Amino acid sequence: MNIAGIGIRNISRNKTRTTLTVLGGAVAVLAFILLRTVLWAWNVGVDYAAKDRLATRHKVSFIMPMPKNYIDSVRQVPGVKKASYANWFGAKDSRHPDDFFASLAVEPQSFLDVFPEMSVKPDEKAHWLEDRKGAIVGDVLAKKLGVKAGDRITLTGTIYPGEWEFNIDGIYEATQKSVDRSQLLFHWNYLNETLDEKRRDHIGWISTLVDRPDQSANVTAAIDKIFDEKDVQTTTMSERNMNNSFMATFSAILTALDFVSIIILFIMMLILGNTIAMGVRERTREYGVLRALGFTPKHVSIFVIGEALTIGVLSGLLGLALSYPVVQLGMGRWLEENMGSFFPYFRLNATTALVAVVLSTGLGALAAIIPARQASKLSIIDALRRVG
Amino acid sequence: METSTEKSTEAKNGAQNKVATGKPIVELSGVTKVFYRGKEALRVLDGINLEIPEGSFEALMGPSGSGKSTLLNLIAGLDRPSSGKALVANQDLSSMGDGDLAKFRSQTVGFIFQAYNLMPVLTARENVELPLLLTSLSGAERKKRAQTALRVVGLEERMDHYPRQLSGGQEQRVAIARAIVNDPTIIVADEPTGDLDRKSADDILLLLEKLNTEFKKTILMVTHDPQAAERATVQRRLDKGVLI
Repeated sequence: MNIAGIGIRNISRNKTRTTLTVLGGAVAVLAFILLRTVLWAWNVGVDYAAKDRLATRHKVSFIMPMPKNYIDSVRQVPGVKKASYANWFGAKDSRHPDDFFASLAVEPQSFLDVFPEMSVKPDEKAHWLEDRKGAIVGDVLAKKLGVKAGDRITLTGTIYPGEWEFNIDGIYEATQKSVDRSQLLFHWNYLNETLDEKRRDHIGWISTLVDRPDQSANVTAAIDKIFDEKDVQTTTMSERNMNNSFMATFSAILTALDFVSIIILFIMMLILGNTIAMGVRERTREYGVLRALGFTPKHVSIFVIGEALTIGVLSGLLGLALSYPVVQLGMGRWLEENMGSFFPYFRLNATTALVAVVLSTGLGALAAIIPARQASKLSIIDALRRVG
Repeated sequence: METSTEKSTEAKNGAQNKVATGKPIVELSGVTKVFYRGKEALRVLDGINLEIPEGSFEALMGPSGSGKSTLLNLIAGLDRPSSGKALVANQDLSSMGDGDLAKFRSQTVGFIFQAYNLMPVLTARENVELPLLLTSLSGAERKKRAQTALRVVGLEERMDHYPRQLSGGQEQRVAIARAIVNDPTIIVADEPTGDLDRKSADDILLLLEKLNTEFKKTILMVTHDPQAAERATVQRRLDKGVLI
């Protein structure tokens, strides 16, 4: 038995109140973990972006196209290992028009060269390269659309209107967390040859692999310099910066989530503070007895803070335990399957888990500061006279 | 002004229970305590002069509001006098800071309260062990001493019981064990039998007599109960803040 141990034992005194407080704290920790995981998962593409990959887009906006022949110039830049290009297609499955997934018109061989983390079986890849109307889809999207290699699917174009038929030649899998497993990739030529003169031979962006990551800055400058005097100028940036600029469009939402996660913890602190304050009020007489026995105000503070820390730790650990099935098995799986473009990898990460438990414990202690101070400042005689 | 009714208890308790005549353990001179209710000053103790010899068992009586508990609190180091000098166990409480008073209480005073005031989350042994947490004794030594104290009060076999599993009399005996576990110089008891039935109260008073006669503990007991006061070797009366 020691002084802090007595504080910890005090939490068993009113089991119902302690249980409800720990549950309330655990729900707050669960909500905090969910929000932080959303923020983390949203940024996972940025965090896992390849260091040796660049993206080149129209200088004005991501949505404006560039001449297709730019790819030839980029491939000539010293330090460029491989380059490919793509157009955002915007396909919809007419059976599920509200479901979003990314669909890109790409040059198949070079695209897979530049994005080796998208893995396709050799026979399926060979089939796709030969099939002008062929497409490959991520394993998550294949499951969602209910298709397999060899199937045929008709999708509705939004940016390029009409009904578009594709042969599903293969299913790609991800070898890296950041890969969106809900994409559909098809031949850029299939798209281009159906377009009118005005829209033909344009591409959305260029993706480039460089020989050495430390040369990225030089290659970036060299690419943009080529097009400086052209009608359409470009902006080249690392894949990480490209992802960041895409994220910036959602910055208000992300900031709001960040703010809400902090508010949740603040609410948790108030719940804990209230419980601790009630406990202190009920035990005023006992604190008076302890002081009479020779315990100092500091000892009384340790009693109170020890109790709050214990509730904080229990709330943190229970919240973490609850979040595991919710994030890993429930919400995470659903988001990966249904919103894979935004959340290709939605899992509980160690940093978030650790921060949640540490904050829960720390806030428990913080919540106890005022009640602990009040308890330690009590007059012994007044405390001994207190009834109840 | 000081008067006291000293009464030999030889007739009742035998020859060994005599009025103590040792050196004073408590020496109060001109002690006054004033409380303030707003701007109104309430003189609760008024020029108290008192000497309590080492080894005595004294009862302090008087009507409610007479200042008994205030006097007990001053002697126990729970409060300081507004004026006058309070020497207890050769320590001048009037000039001590909070930290020194806490140390004084933990080393010199054993407390017994009317309402027992045991911690419900601790067993009887752990409650008794509480004051020893402030010492440098090892856990094993603390446990041993707590068991010894419980043996003295006749509750060794109940040491693993929680307060809710004990009767009122047993709880008070645990509180007495807690009061003696650190071998205090003086034991102060504020209405120790106030919440007990007659039988339990007699047991507690017998125990206090035993602590006084066998263990030579100085005991100062505040009580309203004349029967309890009769068990003390000295009875003092306080009225309107003055010893009569």
